[in-house]
Amino acid sequence: MKNNLLKKFLILPVFLLTVGMMYGQTVVKGVVSDSSGTLPGVSVVEKGSTNGTQTDFNGSYSITLKSSNATLVFSYLGYKTQEVAVDGKNTINVTLVEDSTQLDEIVVIGYGTTTVKDATGAVTSVSAAEFNKGVITSPEQLIQGKTAGVQITQTSGEPGAGVNIRIRGTNSVRANNNPLFVVDGIPLAEGSNTAGTDVPGVGANPSKNPLIFLNPNDIESISILKDASATAIYGSRGANGVVIITTKSGKAGKDSFEYTSQFSFSNPAKTFDLLTAQEYLSESARLGFNANDRDFGNITDWQDVIYRNSTSVTQNFAYNKGYKSGSLRASMGLSNQQGIVEKSQLKRFDLRLNWQQRLLKDKLKLTFQGTISDVDDQTPPLAGTAGFQGDLIGSAYAANPTWSSDPTFDNTGGLINPANLLANTQNTTDTNRLLFSLGADYQLTENISANVKFGYDKSNADTRGVSNSNIVAIGGGIQGNGRGTYNDFEFTNSLLEATMNYKKSTKNSTLDVLLGFSYQKFDRKGTNAQGWGFNTTDLDAMGNVLSSATNSVASQITGDYQQFAYATAFQGGNIGAGNVFVTRLQDGLPIDFVNLTTPSDLRALAVDTFDNYDELQSFFARVNYSLFDKYLLTATFRADGSTAFGAGNQYGYFPSGAFAWKLTEEDFIPDNVSTLKLRINAGLTGNQEGVGYGNAVRRTRFNGIGINEAGEVVVPGTGVVAFENQDLKWESTFQYGAGIDFGFNNDRLRGTFDYYNKSTRDLLFLIQSAQPAIQPFQFQNLPDSKIINRGIEFALGYDFVQGDEFTWDADFNIAYNYNNVESLSGEYISGAINGQGLSGAFAQNLAQGQPLFSWYVRDFRGFDAQGQPVYRNGGDPLFVGKSALPTITGGLSTSATYKNWSFNAYFTGQFGHYIYNATQNAFFTAGSFASGRNVLASTLTSGESLNAAADPSTRFLEKGDFVRLQTLSASYNVPMKESSWFDSVQLTLTGQNLLLFTGYSGLDPEVSSRTDGGLPTLGIDYGAFPNPRTFTFGINAKF
Amino acid sequence: MKNLFTRMRKLFLAMFAMVTVLSCTDLTIEGTDSLLQETPEFTGVEDVAGSLTSVYQATYGMLGDQANFFALNEVTTDETLVPTRGTDWSDNGIWRQLHNHTWKQDHGFILTTWNQLNGNAYRATEIIDPLSQASAQQAAEAKFLRAFNMYFVLDFWGVAPFRNATDPGSSIPTVLSSQEAYDFIVQDLNEAISDLPAVGPSAATSRASKSAARYLLAKVMLNSERYTGAAPNYGQIISLIDGITGEGYALAADYFNIFNPAVDTETIWYANESLGIGNRIWNGLHYNMTTPDNGGGGWNGFSTLAEFYDLFEGDANQNYMGSNQEERRGWVPDATTADNTSNWGIGYGFLQGQQYSGSGAALTDRSGNPLSFTKDLSLTNSNETNGIRIIKYHPNPMPPGVAGGSQSFRAHEIIFRYADAFLMKAEATLRNGGDATAMVNQLRALRGASALANVSLQDMIDERGRELYYEFWRRNDLLRFGQFTKDWEYKDPSAIGDANRRLFPIPLAALVSNPNLEQNPGY
Repeated sequence: MKNNLLKKFLILPVFLLTVGMMYGQTVVKGVVSDSSGTLPGVSVVEKGSTNGTQTDFNGSYSITLKSSNATLVFSYLGYKTQEVAVDGKNTINVTLVEDSTQLDEIVVIGYGTTTVKDATGAVTSVSAAEFNKGVITSPEQLIQGKTAGVQITQTSGEPGAGVNIRIRGTNSVRANNNPLFVVDGIPLAEGSNTAGTDVPGVGANPSKNPLIFLNPNDIESISILKDASATAIYGSRGANGVVIITTKSGKAGKDSFEYTSQFSFSNPAKTFDLLTAQEYLSESARLGFNANDRDFGNITDWQDVIYRNSTSVTQNFAYNKGYKSGSLRASMGLSNQQGIVEKSQLKRFDLRLNWQQRLLKDKLKLTFQGTISDVDDQTPPLAGTAGFQGDLIGSAYAANPTWSSDPTFDNTGGLINPANLLANTQNTTDTNRLLFSLGADYQLTENISANVKFGYDKSNADTRGVSNSNIVAIGGGIQGNGRGTYNDFEFTNSLLEATMNYKKSTKNSTLDVLLGFSYQKFDRKGTNAQGWGFNTTDLDAMGNVLSSATNSVASQITGDYQQFAYATAFQGGNIGAGNVFVTRLQDGLPIDFVNLTTPSDLRALAVDTFDNYDELQSFFARVNYSLFDKYLLTATFRADGSTAFGAGNQYGYFPSGAFAWKLTEEDFIPDNVSTLKLRINAGLTGNQEGVGYGNAVRRTRFNGIGINEAGEVVVPGTGVVAFENQDLKWESTFQYGAGIDFGFNNDRLRGTFDYYNKSTRDLLFLIQSAQPAIQPFQFQNLPDSKIINRGIEFALGYDFVQGDEFTWDADFNIAYNYNNVESLSGEYISGAINGQGLSGAFAQNLAQGQPLFSWYVRDFRGFDAQGQPVYRNGGDPLFVGKSALPTITGGLSTSATYKNWSFNAYFTGQFGHYIYNATQNAFFTAGSFASGRNVLASTLTSGESLNAAADPSTRFLEKGDFVRLQTLSASYNVPMKESSWFDSVQLTLTGQNLLLFTGYSGLDPEVSSRTDGGLPTLGIDYGAFPNPRTFTFGINAKF
Repeated sequence: MKNLFTRMRKLFLAMFAMVTVLSCTDLTIEGTDSLLQETPEFTGVEDVAGSLTSVYQATYGMLGDQANFFALNEVTTDETLVPTRGTDWSDNGIWRQLHNHTWKQDHGFILTTWNQLNGNAYRATEIIDPLSQASAQQAAEAKFLRAFNMYFVLDFWGVAPFRNATDPGSSIPTVLSSQEAYDFIVQDLNEAISDLPAVGPSAATSRASKSAARYLLAKVMLNSERYTGAAPNYGQIISLIDGITGEGYALAADYFNIFNPAVDTETIWYANESLGIGNRIWNGLHYNMTTPDNGGGGWNGFSTLAEFYDLFEGDANQNYMGSNQEERRGWVPDATTADNTSNWGIGYGFLQGQQYSGSGAALTDRSGNPLSFTKDLSLTNSNETNGIRIIKYHPNPMPPGVAGGSQSFRAHEIIFRYADAFLMKAEATLRNGGDATAMVNQLRALRGASALANVSLQDMIDERGRELYYEFWRRNDLLRFGQFTKDWEYKDPSAIGDANRRLFPIPLAALVSNPNLEQNPGY
């Protein structure tokens, strides 16, 4: 009976349809496409009726009209809805235009997606069309300045250098304040996957940006989760915000190819006005030095020696295929970016495959997203920790301009000849990384779907730093011997994740429930080797000798070991018959002297290893409930367990909630208000970054080993690395806030306004142990201390012109953040200032009642009659009421199109902070000139005595305010004939870092040198790698 | 088809369940690259021998540094200073504050030294704890090392915090008063003396021996009045030193040769697992003074005061060979005595006047002026050549059989020397009402100095200065002789006579970490 009834119902429309046709009603056919091809799944509806259909796989549709003067409405998520009057036509082909208004955009949130309209939290998504252009090495640069409250700062102008990202202020007193990065659903491991670079004799530099393995060209969108309601789904890793990177997937439609190529040219945007050789000598004579003795007879512009005009090339090729039950996109990228300092280079080769397959009548969806990359980079001999001699850049500022730029010139009085340093050092890192995720999504019932995901991220990094025996005037026993470091790191991050989704819609409400479990393991394994005494000066060969010596000796050792070494002589320990000692952590023979074959081309080798892992286990849930499409509720909860903490405190619990009210849906809101939504949210998120492995358990290892200046190795003892600390637990950030989204006239004018208040508690702080203690510092939670960040964010966009041939729009964002440390006992000096006469000097202090990164220096009041500096309060350092944290950050981007042309400009700015010009402190003082170093012309007219000390003071503290024209670009879409091979060809010319408006006297205020390894530092400019000015010509072709 | 669906669904659900159940973990880490202790309580040191080596190495590392421990003991005195030379060696005022006695509770060296000494003492405590099951000799070595480190805590700060190995990491250490700490150290040393091996002059004196412990106990007792208020037991001090003599230690001739690595009769305890000699050699030498293994040259920092230099016999204005100087003032190679095989132009002792390269060429400073070290200097405002430099350890030629070159960064720094024990005995004799003249003159004769008529306490401290400069004891000596608060050329007027300066302030960070600590008066 039932079946019969059903059949009747089915027959009815068929009958009507047939009748309709019989009566000559119109059938309209056509193809719907977008700029890149046909679009399946586009909804085609006869306006004012329920009569509608969808485009098929080939973008074709066919609809039988009910009314002869109908209008068809074509709509598709992410595209502007288009209406076309039929007017008797039988074929209507439509090209949909992507909707540029951000509010309709899909936003990827944790474990799912939503639209901006339905988002309850402060979530911003930036899609590929809005990405920054030009030379982009890593994904964060794509979105720099695009989002209010997200401060993205390049720490130096070196290709692939680290990037500081601060979302809604700085929460942590540990090294890492960067957000969690999630790539295609895989949360990445904290920190870096490579060893920091080390130039023996000069110093160490932090690792490169770990995200450089991703090809920016493969990225579809980047979502930034800012408030706790959005990030709490990532629980313990959400406190600094979350950045979700989604790569491009295959699109339905025809097979297509895309080729992108860029050629760039960079030069230093600014250099210092140092004394020329002639000026150096005349100033020497004027100031009473023996100019003849200071004249080495050459004319050298040292900045010319180390800086260069550089070129970069990028090639990308992508293939897209869509077919009935799936799609795939495969791409390949090749780039070679040179830095403007000699010997700085980043080469990347990457392959990506994203593939989706639907099975079982689309109930089962399999997804594979994977990339393989090979990044080879080279770093010049730079170090933020460089002492009185400076590093390559510092020594180039200081070098006597009458020295010869011949690398063998060594009459330097203990200072570095930059040409010698450049020619005889080399630092390379070769990183291979594989990241993929494999997912299966099964629609179990109409309402329930389940998803299983396996993610795997493995990287192998081989870092080599060598200084050969031709080095002059550098300590460490390198001269005449050569010295090198070799680090082989292997990091693996594996993820297993299961989620279940329940979705139910009734007439007035929708309910969406997510339940999930995730397990993640971070394996870290590595070898740190040092070598001394090479019989070659070839820098490549030195690296090879060191790595093959390490591997050859290691392969001869039987059993587990932590370290091994051989040397010209050992200190301590009884050397047996053998010539290699091996330390072993198991019982029996903790130190073993074994007789192994040691390579003859390396006189001393010391190798230490590590191999450990951490685990994170999580249970999470989210409920989204929407009533009348007006009231939106989100609640999330996550429990995270981590091996980083004491047995009693391994689990942290992170709840959050948010409520949004879509006022636009209310009758009392006028029609010209296209968007109006109020949002409130509160939640708790956690942070454990920087705590490191095994800091809550009592753990013993052999102490570090090294090779001394004479090629000797001290046989190490064992030491307890960490105390047991059962109480160690999660640091947590409680955040609440409210926001409003608004738009008028179809969002022609649009904006958002947000307020937030964050308070970070149970600070995980590396505090002074109560002595006597096993380690001078230990991690502890400070229960009463807090770090407060509160602020407002405002974004506004307006489409000035919306014509057919000419459009012009602009988007502006600005954010204000207040930062303060509360209830902290003690004071913690930080912000090391390095350079001659600056050992142990510092310029920052962490204390309650002050923002983070507060400057703590002498208050400089000028020079006295003798040219000695005069300080307030007799010269004791004090808080000067200034911090390195900007209070205001902002961005302005504007774009215009005219026919086939489009233009973009993007300005970024930061205000309210102070930068410490450590470059000037270390190099540009009268005393520096007195010791034979070169200085700026202005240095010698300041009234400073040649014998004056240059202690850190407000003399070197400068306002860091700046506005930068970061990008200016023009693109031209080459008109294509129907018959053309190409679908589209676009030519682009981009300039980066074209204008910088700042009062800062150094090269660039937007740098941050890593000058020590303790508390994080910010805002210190110490011979930083300058930001280049870059011009890029690009071509993009689709066919 | 339906079957397939059902099967697939079952398979998927099974997979889903597997992921959730099988990957569940109890979140315990395994000791893949470290020895992990299973229980939270202290169960003893995992590797006693390795741990003991660590305490030696940490102690030696501390001694080798030019900053921190060395600086607190020497730069705070009239013997050496680190003048600010224009933009060199200003170092945020850290050296000036030590020498002119204006240090505060945030002084970096004071904090670091607090951490080093107490950290070393704690590691020793762990070894001594019965749970570690150390052998009697290992425990005795640890007691000796704990006494050494704890003694300097007492000497610098007047109190000593203490933590048992079995106390939880989160516990707050108790604070031993001056008297308690003194008694604790004396007990450790007495126990150490009985269980340590008797070791005569040999290469083996880099580890603790009966004589090293006797020496330290004599030193602690000689200074006891500052900690206990009671006069020392001079007889016991003398018998301790006689015990050292009885094991074969004796004064040795050829003063600067004592500081070479070869075995001599004076070295009671030396650091072999530290490379501190480099700091002792280079901290005062100019950048243009180099050796084959150190092309970067010296660091041009440390100098001595004219008034200290003038304690030595010899021509006050030059120190070349034949300046009528006593042996301990050393000599400076000139154009004829400089060579590139044994001295590289670098002198011994006190470097004054024009300096020469190994090939005998007169050196210049970085401004092109003659590199001639002068007596005159200024704490705040010196140039590159101001100040007489001290160099006690010399960059030796490589040992026989090793290819040519220098040993600028070798180990073998002397910590306890017999000449000090000898002078302690003389001092104890003098303070006990006896006459030390013969003993002091015995030493002076060996060093090529003229005999003194009658040795007073002032002669005694001056003699100790001449014999033991740069060997860590000047602050300790000045305090014992009541001269630490006296005036010297660059001392801040406010600090002259300030008795509070005899102790360092407890570092601010330590006060925060331990409420049982009280700041010393005056800070």
